[in-house]
Amino acid sequence: MSQDRHLILDNCIKCNICVANCPVVKVTDQYAGPKQNGPDLERFRLDEPAAVHPSISYCSNCKTCDFVCPSGVNVATMNCKAKGEYVALNGAPLRDQVLGRVEWICKAAQIAPSIVNWAAGVGPFRAMGEAFFGVAADMPFPRFASKTFLQQFQPKKIANPKGKVLYYPGCYVNYYTPEVGLALAKVLAHNGIEMVVDDFNCCGLPTVSNGLMDAAKAYGVSNLEKLNRYIQDGYAVVTTCPSCNLMLRQEYHELFDMDTTLVTENTYDAFEYLVLLHEKGQLDTQLKALPRRYGYHQPCHLRAVGYGVPSQEILQLIPDLQVLPLDAGCCGLSGSYGFKKEKYPISREIGQNIVRAVEDTGVKQAVTECGMCQLQVNHVTGLPVVHPIELLAEAYGL
Amino acid sequence: MNKKTDVLIIGAGLSGLMAAAKAAESGKKVTVAAKGMGSLSLSSGCIDLWGYDIDDPQQVCPNPLAQIARLGEVNREHPYTKVADVLEESLRCFQGITARYGCDYRDNGGANWLLPTAVGTFRPSFLAPPSMAVKDLDKAKRIVIAGYEELKDFYPEVMAANLARNGNLPESVNIAVVKLRCAWKKLYATTLAHRLEQAEGIKEAVDQIKPHVVSGTVVLFPPVLGERLDIDVAARLSAALGAPVYEVANIPPALPGQRLQQLLLKHLRNMGVDVIIGCTFTGAKTEGNRCLQVTAEGAGKTFTFAAQTYVLATGAFVGGGLDSRIGAVREMIFDLPVCTLEKWASGEFLSMNGHGFNRFGIAVNDRLQPLDEAGQVCLENVRITGANLAGANGPIEKCGNGVALASGYKAGKLAGEVPS
Ligand SMILES: Cc1cc2nc3c(=O)[nH]c(=O)nc-3n(C[C@H](O)[C@H](O)[C@H](O)COP(=O)(O)OP(=O)(O)OC[C@H]3O[C@@H](n4cnc5c(N)ncnc54)[C@H](O)[C@@H]3O)c2cc1C
Ligand code: SF4
Ligand code: SF4
Repeated sequence: MSQDRHLILDNCIKCNICVANCPVVKVTDQYAGPKQNGPDLERFRLDEPAAVHPSISYCSNCKTCDFVCPSGVNVATMNCKAKGEYVALNGAPLRDQVLGRVEWICKAAQIAPSIVNWAAGVGPFRAMGEAFFGVAADMPFPRFASKTFLQQFQPKKIANPKGKVLYYPGCYVNYYTPEVGLALAKVLAHNGIEMVVDDFNCCGLPTVSNGLMDAAKAYGVSNLEKLNRYIQDGYAVVTTCPSCNLMLRQEYHELFDMDTTLVTENTYDAFEYLVLLHEKGQLDTQLKALPRRYGYHQPCHLRAVGYGVPSQEILQLIPDLQVLPLDAGCCGLSGSYGFKKEKYPISREIGQNIVRAVEDTGVKQAVTECGMCQLQVNHVTGLPVVHPIELLAEAYGL
Repeated sequence: MNKKTDVLIIGAGLSGLMAAAKAAESGKKVTVAAKGMGSLSLSSGCIDLWGYDIDDPQQVCPNPLAQIARLGEVNREHPYTKVADVLEESLRCFQGITARYGCDYRDNGGANWLLPTAVGTFRPSFLAPPSMAVKDLDKAKRIVIAGYEELKDFYPEVMAANLARNGNLPESVNIAVVKLRCAWKKLYATTLAHRLEQAEGIKEAVDQIKPHVVSGTVVLFPPVLGERLDIDVAARLSAALGAPVYEVANIPPALPGQRLQQLLLKHLRNMGVDVIIGCTFTGAKTEGNRCLQVTAEGAGKTFTFAAQTYVLATGAFVGGGLDSRIGAVREMIFDLPVCTLEKWASGEFLSMNGHGFNRFGIAVNDRLQPLDEAGQVCLENVRITGANLAGANGPIEKCGNGVALASGYKAGKLAGEVPS
């Protein structure tokens, strides 16, 4: 392991491309940046794990540094681990402990989602939340659905299915936007694919972003064990959330050295799965026209996977639908990051790129895969935002 | 997943982006896919064509195009000899694109510019963005060098001392240093660029510089005058100060290179080119002397790309296109033969003869197709561009971006001519 770390470190040629592209460095003087926190300090961490710069909490884990680095240094992963070391040594504020455990919040809110939604929108409560817990009062919370996806999903029996899919909805779809999971279920059933679901833990990405590594690892162990069982039974794992996708197929391995061979090979983004189906000539392409224009925002964690934008390839099949790439980089929210009082201004400033791209293209609605990006795009631009699978389901008339 | 496209460009450096821009004009489906960003954002942002005189390397070359025309006689293997037919056309195309996005790269009437650097020397370059194209610095009455206390990597006093010592400026020029202060604690070039895009950042700078401006003043800044294309920070500062303001060349991250990269990416987006960053190509499937598909990896999974034409724009050692071990150099995707030299490096770090490894690369014919040791085309639907071409010594000849630009353009043009 330490041999590996050494090799990756030595690949860094100190070119500063990561610094030049880091969205956080650009807008604040609080952050020491990817190179310093990543390969520079990692060199010391080989001997002394505590060699962490306190500004590490400013890294939003957007992974921009990883994919711009011409030398293949996984800067963001080094940063995640370093954040974990920092939190292990110095502890995390109560706020981060709570924000990181999205799964807890969601489960607790399920007792009375409408009351929670109401309370989350009340100004004085939010002001108190900011003063006492450091949760930014101006960042709107996503709204809990009255019934979770798992409560609503009805498995459909398909005779001679063309494929078997286990859907991993992730916390966001399950608790906030069940319509996305339901749209996927309809699209898959329509194309003769069987879909099942199960009760999983949070993928752990929010926990990692807050430096709570032990909790994330425990989620990983339990999720992997269950996923492997399904894969051995012939299921492909499909996600609609790019962050869950990245976590399952890459991060458990990179961060915790877990064996994810099966999961990496058999986990697909929903549209990646549909592209494969299309390649085999098995995707129904009878789609009705949707004469509309959308701005497309590419989530950082989808970009980090490095295979382009599969949803674009499928949405192109819909007649009269125009999907214009906004190409504005990170939206700035980065999960719980933008909810933190001291980071909200940074997050909002980064989001201005989206505002400008929307003005440039003149679009009136947007589409993006990631739930949190949806929230931020809506917050900074006011535009309605949907998941691409909802457009596809609509074009099928489902 | 198998992806299909007409023209696949591997690499997102200047040569790859230029190849894509040109190929897209032909109406073909063009995809750029790369592991990361190229060395453009490391470079000064200026396009060096040919810096010094072939016969007298101490002298700045007065007419780069004329000198390059002579390379056919003195150095047949130089990449410029393979692209001589399109060289001027490629420069015009590039200037046309940059002008369209409001950052018109300027030539100096056929001669090299002599542009001031952050250490107070002058470097020859052929095309410069408007914010760097300082004309007649020697006619200025006063030069104000503005540096920030909070910015690492720019020392205005050093620049001033060396400029004063430099024979290019008359003694009468008055050189002054202004150490600016910023409301932020610590600045990177990018942080400062962002601050200067805001009204308060400009005001902060203008308030401190203004008292030092007299008639005939030229103000020189580190290369941090904004990152966005839609805000011309140099023009804003200039208007507020009533004196021309320029950026000087400095070590990375230099914003002019970043801006050019952004500009070209924006142009490609407008031309409908697909750009995928974060995917690493690892191998190719060939049949006879044609490439059938290439393999790429992203997030642990492998996928393939099939195209009519492949442009290998992966750079050399910095870009990652070539890899070296003791005694061996490898091209990473097609395993093409790499021309090396007996002597890899000069004993002296800053040797004027340059290091051998800079000349390493792939030999091509004048259709930019890769050649084997016997001079036969290895892969006829693959074109090689930029830093992974054999025979140039960029750092010494000052021709890195020039070779990248012209060869990228030619590869894109040839790819566009392939019948569908
Ligand atoms: C620090 C520095 C400063 C410079 N300054 C100047 C200057 O001021 N003026 C000037 O004219 N020239 C300058 N140069 C030289 C010039 O920048 C380069 O020669 C030129 O830009 C090379 O461009 P390129 O497109 O060939 O390759 P690069 O810009 O090196 O791009 C290579 C691309 O290929 C990708 N890649 C590599 N391997 C793979 C793979 N296996 N799979 C997928 N993608 C891959 C990389 O990620 C990258 O996107 C400078 C160079 C450096 C290093
Ligand atoms: S981009 Fe990569 S090689 Fe360059 S400084 Fe950052 S980590 Fe190092
Ligand atoms: S992950 Fe994003 S915020 Fe963190 S260092 Fe990298 S680029 Fe910057």
